Amino acid sequence: MRVWRREKSLIYALHPQRIPESGARITYTLGLGGATVFAVLVTVATGLALTLYYVPTPGEAHASVVLINDVASFGATIRGLHYWSAQLLVITASLHLARIVFTGGYRPPRELNWLIGLGLLVTALVWDFTGYVLRWDDGAYWALLVGTNLVRDIPVWGETLYRMLVGDVQIGANALLRFYAWHAFGLTLVGILGIVYHLWRLRKDGGVSRPHLHNGERRSFISRDELFFREFIAAAFIGSALILISVFVPVPVGDAASIDAGVTTEVRAPWIFLWVQHLLRTSPPLWAGIVAPLVVLVALAAIPFLDRRGPGRATWFARERWKPQLLLAVVACALITLSIREVLL
Amino acid sequence: MTKSLWILMAGSAVLLATAAMVWSQENQPWRTWPTRYNAQPNVTPVPVKIRTLVPTQTGKPELCITCHVGIEDISPSHRAEAIGCVVCHGGDPLALDADRAHSSTRGKRNPSDLSVAAVSCGTQNCHGGYADEEQNHVDRVLKSLQATYAGAIAMVRYAFGAQNSPLAQFGVHAVEDTAKQPPAGALAALEELPSTAILHIIDPEFQQNCITGGCHLWSLSTPQPYYYRSSGCAACHYLYNDDGLYQGNDPTIPRDQPGHGAQHRLTTAIPFTQCNHCHNRGNYSLKQMTFMPRDDLPPVAAPPSPHEPPEVRRLSEYYQPIAEFAKCEYELECVDCHTAREVMGDGHIYGSKKDVQYVQCRTCHGTPTTSPRVATIQDANELAVRQARINGHADFLATGDSVVETDRDELLWSVKQIAPNRFVQIQKVTGQVYEVPQVMGSKCAQDGETQTSDYCHQCHFVTR
Repeated sequence: MRVWRREKSLIYALHPQRIPESGARITYTLGLGGATVFAVLVTVATGLALTLYYVPTPGEAHASVVLINDVASFGATIRGLHYWSAQLLVITASLHLARIVFTGGYRPPRELNWLIGLGLLVTALVWDFTGYVLRWDDGAYWALLVGTNLVRDIPVWGETLYRMLVGDVQIGANALLRFYAWHAFGLTLVGILGIVYHLWRLRKDGGVSRPHLHNGERRSFISRDELFFREFIAAAFIGSALILISVFVPVPVGDAASIDAGVTTEVRAPWIFLWVQHLLRTSPPLWAGIVAPLVVLVALAAIPFLDRRGPGRATWFARERWKPQLLLAVVACALITLSIREVLL
Repeated sequence: MTKSLWILMAGSAVLLATAAMVWSQENQPWRTWPTRYNAQPNVTPVPVKIRTLVPTQTGKPELCITCHVGIEDISPSHRAEAIGCVVCHGGDPLALDADRAHSSTRGKRNPSDLSVAAVSCGTQNCHGGYADEEQNHVDRVLKSLQATYAGAIAMVRYAFGAQNSPLAQFGVHAVEDTAKQPPAGALAALEELPSTAILHIIDPEFQQNCITGGCHLWSLSTPQPYYYRSSGCAACHYLYNDDGLYQGNDPTIPRDQPGHGAQHRLTTAIPFTQCNHCHNRGNYSLKQMTFMPRDDLPPVAAPPSPHEPPEVRRLSEYYQPIAEFAKCEYELECVDCHTAREVMGDGHIYGSKKDVQYVQCRTCHGTPTTSPRVATIQDANELAVRQARINGHADFLATGDSVVETDRDELLWSVKQIAPNRFVQIQKVTGQVYEVPQVMGSKCAQDGETQTSDYCHQCHFVTR
């Protein structure tokens, strides 16, 4: 009796039987979506391992991180993998977004999937920030204080939202527990369901966007097995690189968080929010911390609706679709410049 | 490229990464220390593994002894298995990374440094926070002359005309006596001698030569042979050898690098050599405002002969060329006469050594007409009995014994009455017991009422 049958395996069901060759070309997709999914899988798997030791209480949180890092077998590597794969997924997801814009992948009928993808990116950023907070060291504590206080500046609903977020009138045990629950369960659920939806929608929209065929050109396909092969090879390389980085570039843990000690170290936001931190230096919190990120988000969400021109999809840097490309380039340059200036301060 | 080549390359990458992961697990930096411990001669080898200590008093695991394997228990009163390391030293109990483990330690290597002693040694129910002032040792020491340096500051500044009275106004740091009625001779408060504002032309030089790195408990000494010592409580209670070398088994403390205590150990059995890291080391030149170290000591590399009786070294180390002293003043250890209250203070602020040193010859020897004052031990837990116990001589005293009581009502636990007008003393360092000769009934013709210890030296002096 055969227990496992290839044609009945789940991973088969998750892949189309055959994939148009032109849409699966590495020079076209750069493998960024796949890399992001792989990074999410690594993050979730290592996160599961971290829950075995992590304790989400103010008295124990930092100590348990130190325990994971210094004592648990392969703890530093697993924590490193969790951290570095999380950074990788933010990077590959952002580059994936850029790839979509520069090849016109957002075009009808894929507008909705563009918005889902954008939602997933926001999820990833919040996921990242909540994870940073769980370290409960000096830096994380002050970042949490700054981050949550921003919510308070929202007119009318600010205080209510703050209390919903923090679960108290100030940062403490309730906030840590909430951030832990959101990080480990809530956002994981949202993220995984979101990815599934994103991929399902991708198939419903006709697969990866690809060039129109010239007259008389025969469509060619690659098989599901060929796709698996490529995926496994890529996963092996990315996974190995992540392990090597985790081994040789340790992830920091600061001193235990203590509000009594005052700000002893320089408070620095996680790198993905450095640009917000820089804006906060010069602008009122509401504008820098709430309005500016919303403006960026709305601008990106508007991309499919800025460009409703005809054919020519699935080519890199098509000149007739200059508007979204320029918008993304401006946004990206602005965020990168602000972040670099913050680092150089 | 063929598929098998891709598989070969991907497989190699995975293999390499896995090997790196295992390598880093097997080469964590902490593994160095138990390995080095095992390499020492005369130790029982320990397995190279993470070692956990769960102190009974805190119940929180500490991994410090993973690296500090073989470190000595600090004292029988501070057993590591009871209180652990972190209660005193601070630091991160679960970190095995040296930097992280030590980034939050108190007072660097010395948690009894006076800048942190109040929160390490002097916490509630340790050596502070008691209703009985006598037990708040850290509070007392902070106000004591050895920490304030008030007398020396006052005398030097007065001599140079920087203040118009020899009365102490300044200390190394500001202190205040909150008692409603300080005893006669005590001061209400001392201001901190400003380190930036110049009150008088001598102050900057005085600051630099005598206060920063000066002869008081806030500072460390000159890092050189004979002078090596710690600061704060450990300046006296943590013994240093003259060469400043560590002789214990902790592999993390370099044994060839001077500047470490002889062992990781606190004691109240303090030998004269420890006092001598500061005292008897030379003289001050007021004119040059500098310390003139003595040059007549043998080099540390050539220690005193083991055949030499200790009192011979003691005599040669006593460094006041014109001083007169009696035999007991160099045969006994310094701590046999200079009591805890004299050395660590009585909780009040004084401005002169004269107000602090009060134990006299007659305190133990009596006068031609009177026996020493005595008091009876009432309770098996009173201060004198506790002091005997901590010193390691609990069996010397029992409830009902009579011990000598000083003019300031301090009980000298080490001098007890065995018969009318007969007393014995136990040496705090060696544990040797001998009889204390009494003046009453001897040929001494001193007038006990008006003559102080100086007069005793007229007859009982020793020549070198």
